[in-house]
Amino acid sequence: MNAIEIAGLSKTYTGKKWTRVDALKNLSLEVAQGEIFGFLGPNGAGKSTTIKTLLGLIRPSSGSARLMGEDIGTAAARKHVGYLPENPAFYDYLNAEEYLLFVGRSFGMPEGLLGQRCAEVLQRLQLWDARKRPMRSYSKGMVQRVGIAQVLIHDPEVYILDEPMSGLDPVGRALVKEIMTELKQRGKCVFFSTHIVSDVESVCDRVGIITKGELRSVERVEAVLERGVVGYQLTLKDREGSRELYVPREQLTTTVGELAVQGVEITLLEPRRKSLEDFFLEIVTGTAV
Amino acid sequence: MFEVFRITLKGIFRDRVFHGILVAAVLLPLVPSVSQLSMRQVTELSITLSLSLISFILLLLSVFLGGTSLWKDIDRRYTFSVLSLPISRTRFLLGRFLGLAAFLLLAALVLGVVACVVVSITAGNYPPDRPVVWGNVFAAIVFDALKYILLVAAAVALSTVSTSFFLPVFGTIATMLVGSASQQVYEYVQSPAGEKLTPLLRQCANALYYVLPNFSAFDLKVNAIYGVPLSGQGTLLTVLYFAVYVAMLLLVATVLFSRREMK
Ligand SMILES: Nc1ncnc2c1ncn2[C@@H]1O[C@H](COP(=O)(O)OP(=O)(O)OP(=O)(O)O)[C@@H](O)[C@H]1O
Ligand SMILES: [Mg+2]
Repeated sequence: MNAIEIAGLSKTYTGKKWTRVDALKNLSLEVAQGEIFGFLGPNGAGKSTTIKTLLGLIRPSSGSARLMGEDIGTAAARKHVGYLPENPAFYDYLNAEEYLLFVGRSFGMPEGLLGQRCAEVLQRLQLWDARKRPMRSYSKGMVQRVGIAQVLIHDPEVYILDEPMSGLDPVGRALVKEIMTELKQRGKCVFFSTHIVSDVESVCDRVGIITKGELRSVERVEAVLERGVVGYQLTLKDREGSRELYVPREQLTTTVGELAVQGVEITLLEPRRKSLEDFFLEIVTGTAV
Repeated sequence: MFEVFRITLKGIFRDRVFHGILVAAVLLPLVPSVSQLSMRQVTELSITLSLSLISFILLLLSVFLGGTSLWKDIDRRYTFSVLSLPISRTRFLLGRFLGLAAFLLLAALVLGVVACVVVSITAGNYPPDRPVVWGNVFAAIVFDALKYILLVAAAVALSTVSTSFFLPVFGTIATMLVGSASQQVYEYVQSPAGEKLTPLLRQCANALYYVLPNFSAFDLKVNAIYGVPLSGQGTLLTVLYFAVYVAMLLLVATVLFSRREMK
């Protein structure tokens, strides 16, 4: 069973005066357990719309989706999920600890385990010292950290995170990436939206690129990076000393053969690739970079 | 549901609006001295004043806490984080309502105890002609609280469809006014003077009378002040009316809220 199964999901917002926005068009996608999936797209692409639909906050205009086999829009489906909204807001009269306890109890966690998990995640996200202060007094990044903490506390199977890195300092970003990698190792499914390509490059197994409500491409990150190799930078060593040589991708084999015949030693071979960023821009702007 | 109930109460107790309204309660101890202005019926006046003040405080609480509770959740985007938990919307709404209702009862009880102390001090200094019937005073306060709980149910129902605080707050105030006047309007329409109205208007008035809330039965002030015995059947009917009306409002509210999109 896939952790997330989306079949033909569409969403049309009808606003005032019958204005209509096709925010999501016929999206189909599957994300497996133990996979980190990056949902990449420019502003207004439909990332948050997709995510809110998965959590039952908005109703799809057509199509369906399942989380761990449960239809979206049911409490049973949400039971498997930790969700971080974009620019989250939590009851600001509660403190972080109270809020985490509230979340844990809503998931039916036993009190003993809850207390222990609560302390763990508070410490992990560096909220321990602030845990007794009302969240009204928290900075933006601290609220974001509470958001990550409330996702982790009940140890769900599926993590749906809407721009998890937003508002975090570099240490915080690194921490979130580390947490995601750990979750993957424990067989959890992480689905997160972002518009920062390097975040995807460093942690994701697969990436989906969405623009104007349409899913343009779903790829393995490794494959994109491999395909993106345009040439190689060789560092050579012979009697005259060491020198560098750039070889286009298709000439690598012949060049290496020639160098061997000449008795030149290759000390270093580095691929030169188009980045994922270029790939993303290519799809978004529709032109080769 | 219990968790929502719990944080609702916590939220109210930490709410600045609540603290502000609490200030009105300090007027209660002033009742004995003000009551002395009445030459003869000092104790009666102290009961009247206490009950009116309690009623006013409960009104403020139900309009400003009841009318803004759910709206705030939506406006401040708390709903994204809360409604994505495995709590159904119905349970969330009921938790909210029960929290507010419990708070109103508690507030009425606390204020009621203070009022009893105040009234008994007055009665000690100026013994009334008829002894104070404490049961009736208690009943008057409880039914007043029930009235405001009904009002909160209306406020919650209005909040489920509204996008601003305007509808829930002013809608609640309007409900209050209508609920207080509906009995009088009905009686006017039934009276000889009402006979002169056009039949259509009279039918409309009659139809509205059965749809709109009617708060007159919740008013037991006269029984409390003059010790008039309560009618057992009357109070039972009022409780029944309360239960049915609240249930219908909540039913409508949960249906509307479950359909609402959190954009
Ligand atoms: N409540 C709404 N009413 C009408 N249109 C909306 C509403 N919410 C979003 N939209 C529209 O739907 C489209 C997708 O919005 P969405 O919030 O899903 O984008 P996003 O990919 O999350 O963007 P961002 O990166 O800026 O968060 C946009 O064109 C937006 O204008
Ligand atoms: Mg978004």
